[in-house]
Amino acid sequence: MEPMDIVGKSKEDASLPKATMTKIIKEMLPPDVRVARDAQDLLIECCVEFINLISSESNEVCGREEKRTIAPEHVLKALEVLGFGEYIEEVYAAYEQHKIETMQDSLKGGKWSNGAEMTEEEALAEQQRMFAEARARMNGGAAPPKQPDPDQTIES
Amino acid sequence: MRQAGMYSGILAGGRTGPHSFPLARIKKIMKKSGGNVNMISGEAPIVFSKACELLIEELTRRSWMVAMQRKRRTLHKEDVVSAVIATDIFDFLVNLVSDSTTPLDLTPVEREKLEF
Repeated sequence: MEPMDIVGKSKEDASLPKATMTKIIKEMLPPDVRVARDAQDLLIECCVEFINLISSESNEVCGREEKRTIAPEHVLKALEVLGFGEYIEEVYAAYEQHKIETMQDSLKGGKWSNGAEMTEEEALAEQQRMFAEARARMNGGAAPPKQPDPDQTIES
Repeated sequence: MRQAGMYSGILAGGRTGPHSFPLARIKKIMKKSGGNVNMISGEAPIVFSKACELLIEELTRRSWMVAMQRKRRTLHKEDVVSAVIATDIFDFLVNLVSDSTTPLDLTPVEREKLEF
């Protein structure tokens, strides 16, 4: 069996994980369509080569702008230069989407009052209510669960 | 990625599953790709991931169209090769696919004879 993370020709040390790629490829096709092993391998190699190509160009774009770090803008420019202008819109949209989501992540993290609906007081009250209900159900039998469980922000 | 498995954000549009391209691996490939690579921002692999997805989608879709023309429900390597050759922006892949044993310049008739 091939090593998990090396696919394709030996000239490439780093490639894309085959299992993930296989799933992605299959999801793009009708369910009854099969993909031969060698076709899968070739698609993965093409993807790696694509990354190489865009990377090199991005690197150059970056250098021409006299920057030290390859930024998304450089990659977008590289895509355009290399004839993949059609991709730019979707790529940029995904990038923007990601920025929005990471912003939401950092807002939600830590404090548990930042969820969508409840303030801290409301969440506390809700918690007390749930405990009271549980105790009522227990009907004075076994000790009701006392774990405070402060983690009230469930991400939906 | 913090939200791995849920909504990766990379595969916006909902037409694909929850799988996304592994960013660390992309970054590794980027570093290997040429001499004297600049540093890579944390966000660049995300852009790459989406671009790769689009590439794979286009290449897979075109390969699939070739397979359909040949009345098959299984994608074979030569379908990918044909799709690459037929598409201008995939010129950079021509050398890569011609490394295989499948010859490039086949007429449909010759191609039929090759198929087993």
